[in-house]
Amino acid sequence: MIVERGIITQISGPVVDVEIEGGELPRLREELTVEKSGELRVMEVAQHLDSRTVRCIMLSPSEGLARGLAVDVPGRTIQVPVGEATLGRMFNVLGQPIDGGGPVPEGTPVRSIYRTPPPFEEQSPAVEILETGIKVIDLLEPYPKGGKIGLFGGAGVGKTVLIQELIHNVAMEHGGYSIFTGVGERSREGNDLWREMRESGVSAKTALVFGQMNESPGVRMRVALSGLTMAEHFRDKEHKDVLLFIDNIFRFVQAGSEVSTLLGRMPSAVGYQPTLANEMGELQERITSTKDGSVTSVQAVYVPADDLTDPATATTFAHLDATTVLSRKISEQGIYPAVDPLESSSRILEADIVGAEHYRVARKVQEILEKYRELQDIIAILGMDELSDEDRKTVARARRLQRFLAQPTHVAEKFTGIPGVYVPLKDTLESFAAIVDGELDQYPEAAFYNVGAWRDVVAKARKLEGSV
Amino acid sequence: MRADRGRLTAQLRSADEPTAEQLRRFDQFLSHKYKRKVPLHWEFDQALQDGFRLQVGSDVYDWTLDGRVRQFQDYLRRLQPGENDILPLMRQAVESWEPSPLPEEMGEVLTVDSSIATVGGLAHAQYGEILVFEGGVKGMVQDLRPDGLSCILFGDGEEVRAGSMVRRTLKTAGMPVGDGFLGRVVDALGVPVDGKGPIRPEGYRPIENPAPGILDRQPVNAPMETGLLAIDSMFPIGRGQRELIIGDRQTGKTAIALDTILNQKGKDVICVYVAIGQKTSSVAQLAENLARRGAMEYTAVITAPAGVSPALQYIAPYAGCALAEHYMHQGEDVLIVYDDLSKHAIAYRALSLLLERSPGREAYPGDVFYLHSRLLERSAHLSDELGGGSMTALPIVETQAGDVSAYIPTNIISITDGQIFLESDLFFAGQRPAVNVGLSVSRVGGDAQTKAMKSAAGAIRLELAQYREMEVFTQFSSDLDETTRRQLAYGQGLMRLLRQPQYAPLSQHQQVILLTAAMDRVMQDVPLNRMDGFRTGLLAHLEEEAPDLCARIDQTGTLSQDDREEILDLSREYLARFRDGGKQGG
Repeated sequence: MIVERGIITQISGPVVDVEIEGGELPRLREELTVEKSGELRVMEVAQHLDSRTVRCIMLSPSEGLARGLAVDVPGRTIQVPVGEATLGRMFNVLGQPIDGGGPVPEGTPVRSIYRTPPPFEEQSPAVEILETGIKVIDLLEPYPKGGKIGLFGGAGVGKTVLIQELIHNVAMEHGGYSIFTGVGERSREGNDLWREMRESGVSAKTALVFGQMNESPGVRMRVALSGLTMAEHFRDKEHKDVLLFIDNIFRFVQAGSEVSTLLGRMPSAVGYQPTLANEMGELQERITSTKDGSVTSVQAVYVPADDLTDPATATTFAHLDATTVLSRKISEQGIYPAVDPLESSSRILEADIVGAEHYRVARKVQEILEKYRELQDIIAILGMDELSDEDRKTVARARRLQRFLAQPTHVAEKFTGIPGVYVPLKDTLESFAAIVDGELDQYPEAAFYNVGAWRDVVAKARKLEGSV
Repeated sequence: MRADRGRLTAQLRSADEPTAEQLRRFDQFLSHKYKRKVPLHWEFDQALQDGFRLQVGSDVYDWTLDGRVRQFQDYLRRLQPGENDILPLMRQAVESWEPSPLPEEMGEVLTVDSSIATVGGLAHAQYGEILVFEGGVKGMVQDLRPDGLSCILFGDGEEVRAGSMVRRTLKTAGMPVGDGFLGRVVDALGVPVDGKGPIRPEGYRPIENPAPGILDRQPVNAPMETGLLAIDSMFPIGRGQRELIIGDRQTGKTAIALDTILNQKGKDVICVYVAIGQKTSSVAQLAENLARRGAMEYTAVITAPAGVSPALQYIAPYAGCALAEHYMHQGEDVLIVYDDLSKHAIAYRALSLLLERSPGREAYPGDVFYLHSRLLERSAHLSDELGGGSMTALPIVETQAGDVSAYIPTNIISITDGQIFLESDLFFAGQRPAVNVGLSVSRVGGDAQTKAMKSAAGAIRLELAQYREMEVFTQFSSDLDETTRRQLAYGQGLMRLLRQPQYAPLSQHQQVILLTAAMDRVMQDVPLNRMDGFRTGLLAHLEEEAPDLCARIDQTGTLSQDDREEILDLSREYLARFRDGGKQGG
C-alpha cells in the first residue's frame, strides 16, 4: 500500500481542503486520515478542486485540526468487517466495534462500503409472504420475503416501537441473520435496543451498526452503507437470507442535504440537495434480493411535519414494495400499532400471490373501513338513528374491525403489563373473515380491542359478561 | 510543517538601535534555534521603550515589559492554589520565576466586521481555538484558509482594530464549572454579571464535548416532576429525557420551564437555565423570581442576551451544557432549560452568513440540524458504571403563527423525546398551561411515571381526545342526547381541572388525588366556574382527613386499591359538603 501525503490547507466546519503533494489525486470517496494527538481522524474526498487540491467531508470532529497538518492517503475507501465475526457486535460507521468487546478477530474479511448494485439479470423478484404475526400488516399490507418495506410516520407515532416488534417477531422466528443500522437517531434508542437484544437472545445472530444524531453529517450519510455492506456480504458470499433494519432512512437524506449545503451546492426543493433522487437510488438499488440470497429490508422513514409529500418521503416511497403508514389520528385513539389501514399498501396484495381468500378479506376490510369514514360526518351531525339498517351494520363491523386492528406487542409488554401476542397468518385471515362476514356481530365492541385471534375475542367477551 | 519550509526572516523592533554585539548574539540565537541562517532586520519602534520584540516567521519573542508581565500572568495562572496556602505559593512563585525567551505565535488582524475578524499569520492555529486580541477581547477560530483565518468575536467588534496583534491560547473554548455557579448569573464565558463578585471555579470543561455513547447510557426510569397536572399526567418527563416546549410567543413556554425549576426544590436536582437572545430585563426578572421563591440555591443562570455578539449567543447553550455535564458526571440529576433554541439558530445563521458559508433552507447553514442534535444528545441518563447521573433538557422553541412544520421546529421535534405544544388560542381562552393535548407527545416519560400517577391518570389522554372529537362534531347540532351531553360536560370539566396558575406546582399526592377523583367522574356535576374552588377545597379536605395516605403516595409512588377507595370516599364526602355549601352560599 503506497501512502502518499498531503497537508490540510483549509478548514471550514466539517469541510476540509487537502493539498496533495505529488502523485495522483485520491479519487472521490477515498478515505484520508489525519492524526491528531494520537487519535486517527477520518475524512472522505468529496470534490476535486484543482489538480492538486481535494475537498473532503470529515467523519470525525474538526475541533483541534490545524492548517499544515500532514494527511495520509491510504488509497482506499472506507471498509468495514463482514462475515460471522460481526454477529453479536456493535459497530460505528468505520466498522470499529463500539460495544467494549475489543477489536474484531485478526483476519476478519473487510469490504468497501461502496459497491455497484446487482445487475438486472441477478434480480430475484419477491413473490412470497413474510409472516410478521402482526394482524394489520399480514392482512392489509403483507410484507414480501426479500422485499423492501417502509414504515412511515411523523414524530412520536411509534415507528421505532414497531420496528423493534418486527425484530422481535421476525428476527426471532426467522433463524437467519439480521443487521440493524441506526442512522441519525437517538443514542438513547440505541441503548434500549442493545439491551433488548441482549435480553431476548437475538443478538447472537445480529450485527448492529450505529451512526446516531450526535455524529457529524458525514457519518450519518455513510452509516447506512456500512450496515448494508455487512448484509450484502451474507447475501452474496454466504448465500443467506438476511434481514436488514434501517432506522431511519430519512436521516440519510437529511445528512446528504447538510453535506450538500456545506459543499456549497445549490439547494433544490424545500432546501434538499439537488442529488436527492440519485443518492437515494444508489442506496436503495443495492438493497435487493438476488439469485444468491435475499435481503428483506425494513426501513423506518420519518415524515417531517406529518407531510407525506415532503421530497425525502416521496422519493423513498418509489423504492418500496410495501409501505406501512403510521398515523397520528389512530395513535391518538389508543390503537397500537397505529397503522393507517387505508393509506398503507403492498405490491403483493394480489389474488394470485396471497390467494383469493386473503385478497377478498383484505379488500372487504378496507371497503368497510372506507364506508365508515364516509359515514362518520353524517353520524356526528344526525346520529346513528338516521342511518339505514345496512349502514348501521357496516358501522358496527367497522368499529369492531378498528379495535381488532390493535394488538398487544411484545415490546410494549413491560410498560402495559399486557403480554404481546403473535398471530399466525392463518388465524388472522380466519378472524377477519369472521368479522366481515358478520359471524362475530353478537360480541361487544370492547371485546375486540387489543386481542389476538377471534378465539380471544370470544374469551374476552365472556370475561366482560362475567364482570358485569 | 508547511510554514517552516518557506524562507524565514527575522524582524527586530525596538526603540534603541541594537549594538553590533547585541546583533551578533541575536544571530547566534537564531541560527541555534532554527538550525539555519536567518536574515535579521532591525526596525525602529517608538512604542517599545522597555525592551524589544523579535518576530521570526509567525513566532514572536516578546521582551517588552508588557510581554514579560503577560508571561508572569500566565505562569501565575498555571499554579494550582490549594485552599489556604495561596500566600507562600505566591512568594515562591515570585522568587522562582524567570522570564524565558519562549516564542509565542502572533498574528495580525486583517479585517474586522461586526462580529467576525480575519487574522493573518498564526499558521498553527487550530479549529475551535480561542484567540486573544489586544484589549482582551476573545475570539474562536471558525474558518482556516490558506491565506488567513476567520474567528467569531466574543466581545465588541469595535474594540478590535485592523493591524493589531492577536495571540493564541492553545486552548479550545471552555467553561469554568463548580458549585460557585449555583445561585449566580453568568455570561456565556462563565463571567458573573450579577455584581456579586468573582466565582472561584473548581475546574474547566470544554464547551464542545462528545455526547455519551450508546453503552454509556441506561433507560430513562425516574420521573422529573414538573408539578403541572397537565404535563405530569399526560406527558410525563423522565430524568435524562429531552422534552421540547414549543409554541408561539406569549403562550407561557418559559412559565412551564420556570414552574418546573421551582418544583425541584428539595428534590436534589440541580437546575441550569440558559437564556439565549432574550431581553436582559426578562432574565433579571426571572432570576429575581427564582431567588424570591428560594430556587436560586440550586440554579445557575447563563445569559447571552439579545445585545451581546452572536458568537456568545452561539456558545451559550454549549457552555450551559458543560456546566450541567459537570454535575451529571458526578452522579447528580440535572435539569437544563435552553430558552430558546430558535434564537440560537438565528445567531448561528448570522455567524455562518458572515463567514460566507453557503445558505440552505431558510438561509440556515447546512449543519443547523447538527448544531442542535449534538447539543441535545448530550442529555442522558448515564449508566451505573458512570455514576448514574442524568441531564434532563427542556429546550424551548418559538413558532410563528403556530407553524410547527417550519425548518427549525421540525428539526428539533425530530431530535427530542417528545414535545409540549402550547397554543395561543387556548392561552387566550384561559386554558393555562395552554397545552394542546393532541399534538403533544412524550416518548419515554411513561416508563418513568410512578405507579400511582400511572394508575390515577389512566386513560385521561384518550378521554380528552374523544371529547375533542365529539366537541368538533357536535358544535353544529342543537339536538344532543343525554349521554353525549354528559360526555361533553365531563370533558369540559377535565379541561377546567387541568388549568393551573403559575407558581403553584402540585405535589404528587395532590395530582393523584385530583386525577383519581376526576377519572371516577366525581366532579361531573361541579359547575365549571366553581371548579377551582372545588379543587382547592378537595385537596385541603383530603390532606386534613388522610395525611398518612398523602405521605404514603409521595414516598412510595404507589396507590393500592384501598387507597383508591379511600380517596374516592373522601372525595364524595367532600362533594356532598361542597354542594350544600353552594346552596347555602347561593
